[in-house]
Amino acid sequence: MQRVDAQPVISQRSVERGSGASLQDRSARLAFLLPAVILILVLSIFPLLFSLALAFMSWDLSRLTGGARFIGLGNFITLVNDARFWNTARVSLTFVVGAVLLEYVLGLGVAMLLNQEVRFRRFFRVAFLVPMMLTPAAVAYAGRMLFNEGMGPINDIIKHLGGPQIPWFSNANLALPSLMLLDAWEWTPFMMIVLLAGLQSLPPEVYEAARVDGASDWQLFRHVTFPMLAPVSITVILIRALEAFKLFDIVTVMTGGGPGTATEPVTLYAYLVGMKNGNLGYASAIAYSLLVMVIIFTTLFLNSVRRRAAAAAE
Amino acid sequence: MQMTMRQTRRLKLSLTYVLLALWAIFCLFPIYWLIITSVKLPIAVYQGPKYWPWIDFQPNLHAWEYVLAGPLKDQVTRSWINSAVLAISSAALAVGLGSLAGYALTRFQYLVPGLKWRNNDIAFWIISQRMLPPVVIILPYMIMYRLVGLIDTHVGMILAYTVFNLPFAVWIMRDFFAGLPVDLEESALIDGASRFQAFSKIVLPLAAPGLIATYLFCLMFAWNDYLFALMLTFSRASTMPMFVAGAGSQSYGPQWWLLSALSLLTVAPMILIALLVERYITRGLVVGAIK
Repeated sequence: MQRVDAQPVISQRSVERGSGASLQDRSARLAFLLPAVILILVLSIFPLLFSLALAFMSWDLSRLTGGARFIGLGNFITLVNDARFWNTARVSLTFVVGAVLLEYVLGLGVAMLLNQEVRFRRFFRVAFLVPMMLTPAAVAYAGRMLFNEGMGPINDIIKHLGGPQIPWFSNANLALPSLMLLDAWEWTPFMMIVLLAGLQSLPPEVYEAARVDGASDWQLFRHVTFPMLAPVSITVILIRALEAFKLFDIVTVMTGGGPGTATEPVTLYAYLVGMKNGNLGYASAIAYSLLVMVIIFTTLFLNSVRRRAAAAAE
Repeated sequence: MQMTMRQTRRLKLSLTYVLLALWAIFCLFPIYWLIITSVKLPIAVYQGPKYWPWIDFQPNLHAWEYVLAGPLKDQVTRSWINSAVLAISSAALAVGLGSLAGYALTRFQYLVPGLKWRNNDIAFWIISQRMLPPVVIILPYMIMYRLVGLIDTHVGMILAYTVFNLPFAVWIMRDFFAGLPVDLEESALIDGASRFQAFSKIVLPLAAPGLIATYLFCLMFAWNDYLFALMLTFSRASTMPMFVAGAGSQSYGPQWWLLSALSLLTVAPMILIALLVERYITRGLVVGAIK
């Protein structure tokens, strides 16, 4: 890390005054930034490269010293033919799309409710914030109790309302949607808070003008609020999607990937292969494929957003 | 006509309150359920759902005694203190290093040779570390930590959480510093203060709200983590989420009353933070996401 120009942005004066302060700033500029950069290089970039190297090796957890062997594309050939891996990729993607959409719709709805003159705002804001602050491992246990089919309150309440008993987590087709529901409980608050701030920053004049023109509530939402909120929406959706790809704690404690492998995301599979089977190389190949998925997803998402924005502008 | 408009408005407002109340119940009910389950006797749990203490069932503190004064006492205390020590110190480190770097990125100009990266590129490179799924780097961590003897140590965990939180801390603090006027530090510099003195005596106090928000976030991420603890600890440095997660896997089935008490002990500090400093959290979230 090196600099071209010797003077700090803020102070042209210090240059004019002579070299004293700017000499000091020369060392300061490195002393301020380098600790963070070095830490990230050593403990984030190095492991990332290490992991890439691992993906081309055969290395057993039980023989940590001297057991590594280069096997080229071996792990990736196994990966392409591994049906269980493809299933986990499907689970992860479905989860990301489903959970984030659900959270966005709910979050926007609650944010719009709260973006009015309502009483007890502070109570609502605190109550709505709480879920996202709670430890996922504990949330997963709360989920296991609430969704429990014998003694849980959710099915009991549905029964009292005259609805059917739902096999939330014992049915292989329902387990993943149920998991999305639990994730939505925890993370809708994030969407809600940021979208609410976005709503509050919209200029009121636009609304007044639209009102004068006789726009209905729905027209206001469709043609004013939603388009103007788009930049914030895109950001929160992307942030939540990136986080949702990391799904691990909730699913590990809640279902352990089951029933069968119906809710097993890529993260959990990589963990099981690495720590339970001790196959470090293959686990790294699986984990790296997740990174590739994340990058492809992000690129596609941003491209489609950009294309739509361009189409809308024409 | 006037009347009906007022009526529709009133109807809308009532509907708003009903929906908000429903959402509040949706958000808080799981916590209520943890609380009442933690004071149920096993029979009250297995008889099917009981909602109201003293009406449906007789509350009993047996689970809390078992957890806080009984056989689990030592393990619970150790895990809880571990969690607190790791979260408090790693958050302090992340905020410290993060504000130095965040400040540098707003006040100095950089150019990385070869890559032609300027300040914004460096900032983006730093925040992009946050997008990385931790599972990609966790196996190398485990191997490195085993080889250098950092596995299951407090130092190792503090380092891991600091690096995990650092990108976020830099990103948020950078934004806070960018919003501060530079006049005060400039006059201090002219008066002969060193850059670090100007930073610590003048800039940091002004950025206090940002520091608090960032600290709370780092604290929360570290406290709530499960993956790092699972991979890098097994006993000495093991944390509360680890203990809770492990407590549910007995062969004779989960003991819901104990799990509820343990879960509550785990989430209690976070609920407290939400109650006391909701404002900071909200501000930090918004800055972190939108800017």
